[in-house]
Amino acid sequence: MGTADAIVVDRLVKRYGDLTAVADISFSVRRGSIFGLLGRNGAGKTTTLESCIGLIAPTSGTVRVLGFDPADRRDLARLRPRMGVQLQATSLPEKATVGELLRLYGTYYGLRGNPASVASRVGLGDKLDRFAGKLSGGEQQRLALALALQHDPDVLFLDEPTSGMDVYGRHVLWREIGALRSSGKTMILTTHYIEEAEHLCDEICIVQTGKIVARDTPAALVARYGGDASIEFAARGFSVGAALAGLGRWAHDGDRYTLVARGEPGHALAKIVEYANALGVTIAALDLHRPSLEDAFLAITGERIEDPRSEAA
Amino acid sequence: MSAAALATAPLERPRRSQFRMLLAQTRMNFVWYFWRDGEMIFWSLAIPVFFLVVFSFALGMGSAQRASAFLVPGLIAAQVFSSGFWGVGAMLATFREKKLLRRVYLTPLNPWTFFSALVLYRMTLLAMQATLLILAGALVFKVHVVGNPFAVLGILALGAATFVALGTVIGALVKTAESANNFASVLTVPLSFLSDAYIPINNFPAPVAHALRLLPSTQFVDAFRGIAIYGEPIWHYAGWMGALVLWMAGAIAVSARYFRWI
Ligand SMILES: Nc1ncnc2c1ncn2[C@@H]1O[C@H](COP(=O)(O)OP(=O)(O)OP(=O)(O)O)[C@@H](O)[C@H]1O
Ligand SMILES: [Mg+2]
Repeated sequence: MGTADAIVVDRLVKRYGDLTAVADISFSVRRGSIFGLLGRNGAGKTTTLESCIGLIAPTSGTVRVLGFDPADRRDLARLRPRMGVQLQATSLPEKATVGELLRLYGTYYGLRGNPASVASRVGLGDKLDRFAGKLSGGEQQRLALALALQHDPDVLFLDEPTSGMDVYGRHVLWREIGALRSSGKTMILTTHYIEEAEHLCDEICIVQTGKIVARDTPAALVARYGGDASIEFAARGFSVGAALAGLGRWAHDGDRYTLVARGEPGHALAKIVEYANALGVTIAALDLHRPSLEDAFLAITGERIEDPRSEAA
Repeated sequence: MSAAALATAPLERPRRSQFRMLLAQTRMNFVWYFWRDGEMIFWSLAIPVFFLVVFSFALGMGSAQRASAFLVPGLIAAQVFSSGFWGVGAMLATFREKKLLRRVYLTPLNPWTFFSALVLYRMTLLAMQATLLILAGALVFKVHVVGNPFAVLGILALGAATFVALGTVIGALVKTAESANNFASVLTVPLSFLSDAYIPINNFPAPVAHALRLLPSTQFVDAFRGIAIYGEPIWHYAGWMGALVLWMAGAIAVSARYFRWI
């Protein structure tokens, strides 16, 4: 077992009859890092993640988590105490209170202690006596997260942990994940919030119809697929002089100018300001758009949001 | 709690004990599925006693006391059927359909501990139901359990184990919670009427009564009643008890083969 990698997925395939949910996925996750699985609905994220925790038996291929094979009953038994899991599809007993569930799950892991502290970590400190069935969607997610991390696991599998959470909840989760990372935990998470993946993940894997189509650090993905930065501003009496023509692609609509910058936009911006000053023109309503992971994601997954009006034309 | 606090917090981590989990899980099952469920309390405790009182007068077996002596063990046996078919079998199918089992499956809680806790909870409830029926029979109709307590508990435990095993067959073979619940009702209610539990099968034509005595449910009811109320020796029923053991073994084999936790 490679000690540097906490999770190794090798040529994973999962078929349901004719449908191939996962077609040959391989990746590894370094110990102490956060790995993000991104992809459109039905891409195969959940199938991949659940194959890592022994819920789904792969059609072929192998998985190792901390050196254990989750498809093997004995290995899974040794793995269970060391992993924390938040599932996309699950439920908890409706008439159980938050406190009871935290305490009972604590018992599963040999913990004895007060659930109040973990509850307040996820912002449920004042809801210990609420029934699980009566929690709001986001509160249920927080409870699920608390149940995943209260036993201080070495590896965490979080399937859309922030879906349905409010902004506050999401920031709480980000803080928790940051704290877990600095204490050396390994994590795989799936999400549809691109900025969340950009913020949290050391490495991102984009999955498309069961295959990996891109895999790198968020910054590298943006640099490679995000496209160019653009600068937009309004300036009366401005014109694109020869000194500016080489900066990139220019377009203008009346007084509004757009430059799709070639290379670093800061440099172009300085040039534009200098040139405008020399012309005695004031620049207003300036926008600098840097490519984001979202741009990269759209470029990679080949998704163009169709404009219904353009079809009519 | 911050990362630093997490790292330095004294991790008091005693050995995980399946026994401790069993007790904690059983207690929570009792609270969640019985104590906080008014309907469940009503159906499992009030209704059997109500049946005992009304049927004892309505059954017309000569006297209410004779009818009650027939009904106390019969109603307890009916609760044994429903504990197994509904309380364990349909419940497991429901847990699976609600995707609750798959969450538990990922924890160090042994699936067998989870199963045992469900059975233990239902057995606790069954003990309460039996006690209540026996008390009601004794106080209202002067019906007494005269059998050897060990023999009475022994046959009751054997019956409970058999019907829990048969119940898990439902949990193993039936896909959806809805059809599991339907199967459980379809088995529990008619069996209670056809197995000498609610009404004497001697009232049926002799060939029908003979056929019905081949049912494990009838054999259990008659053995339990004979031992508990009529004070018959347990070896009287050795053959039927052997049959119950075979049913149980068969049910366990089928469940073990087809039951899926996830
Ligand atoms: N048990 C199953 N039987 C048949 N098909 C399945 C099953 N589970 C998943 N699939 C199919 O496999 C594909 C991948 O599903 P998966 O749940 O892994 O997607 P996902 O990437 O997690 O999507 P989402 O973002 O919507 O959660 C989907 O087309 C889905 O319909
Ligand atoms: Mg999913």
